[in-house]
Amino acid sequence: MIDKVLLHPDSLGNSLLNWFKGYGGTGLENALSEPASIISLIEMAGLRGLGGSGYPAHLKWQAVADQTPNPDKYLICNGNEDEPGTFKDACLLSTTPHQVIEGALIAAVANQINKIVFYINPQQKNSLDNIRYGLEQWQQSELYARVEQFLIEPLSIEVMASSGHYIGGEETAAIESVEGKFPFPRGKPPFPADSGVHGCPTLVNNIETLANVPHIMRRGAKWFSELGRGESSGTKLYCLSGDVLHPGVYELPMGTPLSELIFTHGGGMLLGKKLKAVFTGGVSSTILTPKDLDVPLDFDSVHTRGSSLGTGAMIVVSEGTGIVKQVTEYVNFYAHSSCGQCPSCKTGTYYISQLLNKIDTGRASDADLDALVDLCKILPGSGLCHLLDGAIKIVDSSMRHFVDEYKNSLN
Amino acid sequence: MSSGTEISNNISYAQALQNFLKQTEFPARELAIDEAALLERFHPDHNQENIETLQVGPNKGEPCHKQIARFLQADSRIDAADLAGARIQETDILVIGGGGAGCAAALTAAEKGAKVILATKLRLGDSNTVMAEGGIQAAIEKGDTPQSHYDDTYQAGHQQGKKELIKQLVMDGPETIRWLIQQGMQFDVDEFGDLLTRKAGGSSASRVVSFRDYTGLEMMRVLREAVDNSNIDVWHYSPAVELLSNESGHCAGAIISTLHNGRFVQINAREVIIATGGIGRVHLNQFATSNHFGATGDGLVLAYRLGAKLRELDSFQYHPTGVAFPQHLSGTLITEGVRSAGAYLINALGERFVDELKPRDIVAAAIIRECEQGRGVTGDDGIRGVWLDTPGLEARHPGILQQRFPKLLQLGVKSKIDIRSTPMLVYPTLHYQNGGVVIDSNSLSSVPGLYCVGEVSGGIHGRNRLMGNALLEIISFGRRAGAEAASQCQSRGHKKIGITHISNLRRELMQHGMSMTTKAPLLFPDYVHYDTDSQEDGNFGFGD
Repeated sequence: MIDKVLLHPDSLGNSLLNWFKGYGGTGLENALSEPASIISLIEMAGLRGLGGSGYPAHLKWQAVADQTPNPDKYLICNGNEDEPGTFKDACLLSTTPHQVIEGALIAAVANQINKIVFYINPQQKNSLDNIRYGLEQWQQSELYARVEQFLIEPLSIEVMASSGHYIGGEETAAIESVEGKFPFPRGKPPFPADSGVHGCPTLVNNIETLANVPHIMRRGAKWFSELGRGESSGTKLYCLSGDVLHPGVYELPMGTPLSELIFTHGGGMLLGKKLKAVFTGGVSSTILTPKDLDVPLDFDSVHTRGSSLGTGAMIVVSEGTGIVKQVTEYVNFYAHSSCGQCPSCKTGTYYISQLLNKIDTGRASDADLDALVDLCKILPGSGLCHLLDGAIKIVDSSMRHFVDEYKNSLN
Repeated sequence: MSSGTEISNNISYAQALQNFLKQTEFPARELAIDEAALLERFHPDHNQENIETLQVGPNKGEPCHKQIARFLQADSRIDAADLAGARIQETDILVIGGGGAGCAAALTAAEKGAKVILATKLRLGDSNTVMAEGGIQAAIEKGDTPQSHYDDTYQAGHQQGKKELIKQLVMDGPETIRWLIQQGMQFDVDEFGDLLTRKAGGSSASRVVSFRDYTGLEMMRVLREAVDNSNIDVWHYSPAVELLSNESGHCAGAIISTLHNGRFVQINAREVIIATGGIGRVHLNQFATSNHFGATGDGLVLAYRLGAKLRELDSFQYHPTGVAFPQHLSGTLITEGVRSAGAYLINALGERFVDELKPRDIVAAAIIRECEQGRGVTGDDGIRGVWLDTPGLEARHPGILQQRFPKLLQLGVKSKIDIRSTPMLVYPTLHYQNGGVVIDSNSLSSVPGLYCVGEVSGGIHGRNRLMGNALLEIISFGRRAGAEAASQCQSRGHKKIGITHISNLRRELMQHGMSMTTKAPLLFPDYVHYDTDSQEDGNFGFGD
């Protein structure tokens, strides 16, 4: 039996009373009684950023905690979630908002944060409604008052619909957005911990990361680190989609093998077709092939296969699907999503998508393929954010695994 | 009187014709009837054996005609594999269907500045619009009002029509006629040049304007010219086989199969307008049909898969007077205009048996009743029907057939019958799909970005349509959809476009253990053998 944490029946529902009945609130109480040890507990638990980076959560927190307020400190709870194949934050916010809110409050206690912004994709009407309703209930609660007492000032919590741009999920773009501007990513440094929203120290955490926090505070670091398989800690929400029988969000131990996700939980391939490839982590990562079916789905293991876990989205593609076509669609998505401030990204994604389309429709020559290969070499790292790199990565990895398909498509 | 030689109780063609020609007066049997009971017993819609419950899709759990359910719950014709290498074309608005509704929508959208592709399964104008003979309704006469047009439409539809749609339809009537005249359409006029009107079955006022007995053909003539003179990009022989959607379920274009080389093309569009017409060529309940060859219900299937809600999937119109003999013309429509002008329906006993100007479902049910109760005329190969008394009409109004019904005279010539002296044998023919895709007053379906106009849409006609309301609907709602779609397509376009809804469909079918052998949309009737999915280069015998 798999031990569900985030999607445990006790965690579900939008009533705060029910959340408190099922042990909710204990994590925050523990945090309030020993605020100084929160970050070290998070470190021991091995919690990592679950929005795609896999960056250890305690490092981000420590960086913010070390800053003095200027005059405020911000927490952005990032629910912009707009990558193809990723729908876990929407699932969390719409079915179980209270653990997310409690996680945010613990982060505020640990880092002396006085302004919290829930930054949510505007397409997710349910999430927005639920988190607003959830907050209303929290603000009446005694525990919330204790958080404000601890901070010695009123806590400001805002729910804001993001602009709905994919790039708005990048942490510095989210900061711009919260400042009321178009979500243009900023160069780093300065990092958000030093200078974020209006120059104040800012912590940006993904919704799923925050949702894990109250459980760690309640049940301890050891419990959490033992949830994962092998070296990994905790559970992960995997978004399974594409040509499988039962797509959906699955909460499984971090490090569950890919084959188990697809064939045991996902019911296997649709129409019994053969697996051709898996696009991982939404699109800002790479392709896994049938020989990677044994890979444990955690940040480090997937990384050793030259791919990355990203958001935990697995888009399964069956035999018969054109890889060039599929990649073209993803790159089109990048080209559409480029904010346009870096010329290399604005024109690079556009040209790559044009070249791919030409190859896919059999109108391209050897020279076009060479041009594509060259672009993949010279473009990476030339943008302020990682959007361009993401586009290159997926083209690059598809060419690594399916180069014949590219060559066969040439005129 | 009873038949001597026939197996059924009906009377043979020769015998009945002889009797008919001897008679000069046709007594009317008791015409006041219990209409509800008549429909219940004889109208094909009421045969519960033909109805099943849908198991997948937005109308899950609702009743549907078996032959339609088969297509709504069928597998797609395409796979992601078919799209690899498919050419991609970008446009603002894609109109699927080249009949009157599609043209009206495309013209209006193009006028508003949108870039429009019109893809049609065969050629522009290959549609039921050209088959519409009777005319078009609009409350333009003195003493008539949109209110009474509304009342008539609502009542004829057995009070099942959507009120806001009917309101829109009748209010658009006069303006629609004006627009058509501006496009160059001709109408029959009186000696002062005023539009001639006549009364349709089930109407309270004289409200149908027409041009001879080929109003739809004349309408299509001007629409086609207008399209030819516009910058609309028309794709002939290009049936849509699937719709595309974006990440939030907004319709984002379609996959088109080009018949002349069997390839697929992906058209990415901001907004899509479906105007694919009805479903007659599925031959529900084995009825002959008046419909055009392309009326295979493709639009219903495409929209349903994308999540559009449908309505009245068990309600169809059987036009009372389809040709029953000679057999090779069976199903061909004889306009209701002939009955409006005063022609009677006569059974084999030489009796009038129904008020010919009752709504179509009543008249059709009455004809079926006559045949089933042994008072019909029968011929070889199971032909059966009743007489349409054109000789009587000609006798009462000499010259009227030549002047107002030239197409019908021509139909007589084709049948080797001089309809001025010999009646034609008629029997109900599958004519119109009363229901269809649920739409709002801008013709928008329940799927964002997907508009449905004309016969493919539902809600206006309730469970029975009045003569002349179809031609009005295609122009009125066609123009509304075109204008609305054009106003909505200013955005930056879709982020992600694909056919993920097909995987969802397959998943749902598998989970319900349903057969995936049937592929839909049908595209062509079973008895036509085009290999539409061939990826081979080849010619299908069509010019281009």
